[in-house]
Amino acid sequence: MSFMKLKAISILLTVINFINNNNKKSGDQGPWWQSLHRTMLRGILGKTFRLVGYTIQYACIAHCAFEYVGGVVMCSGPSMEPTIQNSDIVCAENLSRHFYGIQRGDIVIAKSPSDPKSNICKRVIGLEGDKILTSRPSDFFKSHNYVPTGHVWLEGDNLQNSTDSRYYGPVPYGLIRGRIFFKKSCS
Amino acid sequence: MSHLQMLSRIPRPLRTLERGMAQSQGWVTRYFKAFCKGFFVAVPVAVTFLDRVACVARVEGASMQPSLNPGGSQSSDVVLLNHWKVRKFEVQRGDIVSLVSPKNPEQKIIKRVIALEGDIVKTIGHKNRYVKVPRGHIWVEGDHHGHSFDSNSFGPVSLGLLHAHATHILWPPERWQKLESVLPPERLPVQSEKESLHGSP
Repeated sequence: MSFMKLKAISILLTVINFINNNNKKSGDQGPWWQSLHRTMLRGILGKTFRLVGYTIQYACIAHCAFEYVGGVVMCSGPSMEPTIQNSDIVCAENLSRHFYGIQRGDIVIAKSPSDPKSNICKRVIGLEGDKILTSRPSDFFKSHNYVPTGHVWLEGDNLQNSTDSRYYGPVPYGLIRGRIFFKKSCS
Repeated sequence: MSHLQMLSRIPRPLRTLERGMAQSQGWVTRYFKAFCKGFFVAVPVAVTFLDRVACVARVEGASMQPSLNPGGSQSSDVVLLNHWKVRKFEVQRGDIVSLVSPKNPEQKIIKRVIALEGDIVKTIGHKNRYVKVPRGHIWVEGDHHGHSFDSNSFGPVSLGLLHAHATHILWPPERWQKLESVLPPERLPVQSEKESLHGSP
């Protein structure tokens, strides 16, 4: 709340300063309240348009950076322990996805197949064409699955506590958003 | 002493020469600065607009005949793809949408949405006769059954692969029209959980 008040006061001071400068330059044309009204309106409109313009410009640059270069993400959940703990900060880059350079063993961020608005963070176990062992170690009969074309097989490092491709099947490559390359250790 | 005051003490011919030289040097730097400023403003804004708001694409193939590309390879339709409408992944049955192909992530395919999550569809040529669309997935089909690589081949697709909603045909001019979200009655889902917002299933 105090930050908004400071911003409001600073904008007001800028506007008053602007009006004063304008009045000094243009001299007095007509009654004082008319020139004040004119310059205040022009000043406020000009400032608003410039602010909106800068906001749009920075938002577009931020979108391009997050979409094509990479960004910082906070991971939550226990499915990648001990590699990534709950609420760890990681850096993800999107260049590998665009140049199709995702390898086996990479940790990737992907859109969840059952909920497109949320993201999942898993390790790539198999690429297309690979044979994946899908039976548990305790099973006597081993079952295999082949990863179809255009898909990847994702598994979390914490196998006991991870909902991954063993549950919802192979994930299409188009759902992958980026590859994690750096983790900031908090503790 | 300000710059202007200093200039007034220099004799007139020298002043003109200096101003000329400053202008010719300043012309190159000014142009370069304007170019950089324009580049860093225009390119991100344009890229963001084409990624988030709308873009235009040419339709290839015969999988959506007769709605799109009725002339075959002679004339390909150009459609307007609206990203803004699908930013929250809300689609209706009958919409024509473009999505990333599940079999080839480099390619985008354009199909009609037949069923949403929770619906049971009667398939044509799929290995199962009836398929229940899982949560977060949709069932898409091309209008030209038999010549279409769609959900009958690769099953339900995840909503995360949704790219845009095709709303209008822009080219050729004699085919200017708004694409309607209409579902042929024989392709209605057998049983549906979600009611669509407009019309009845």
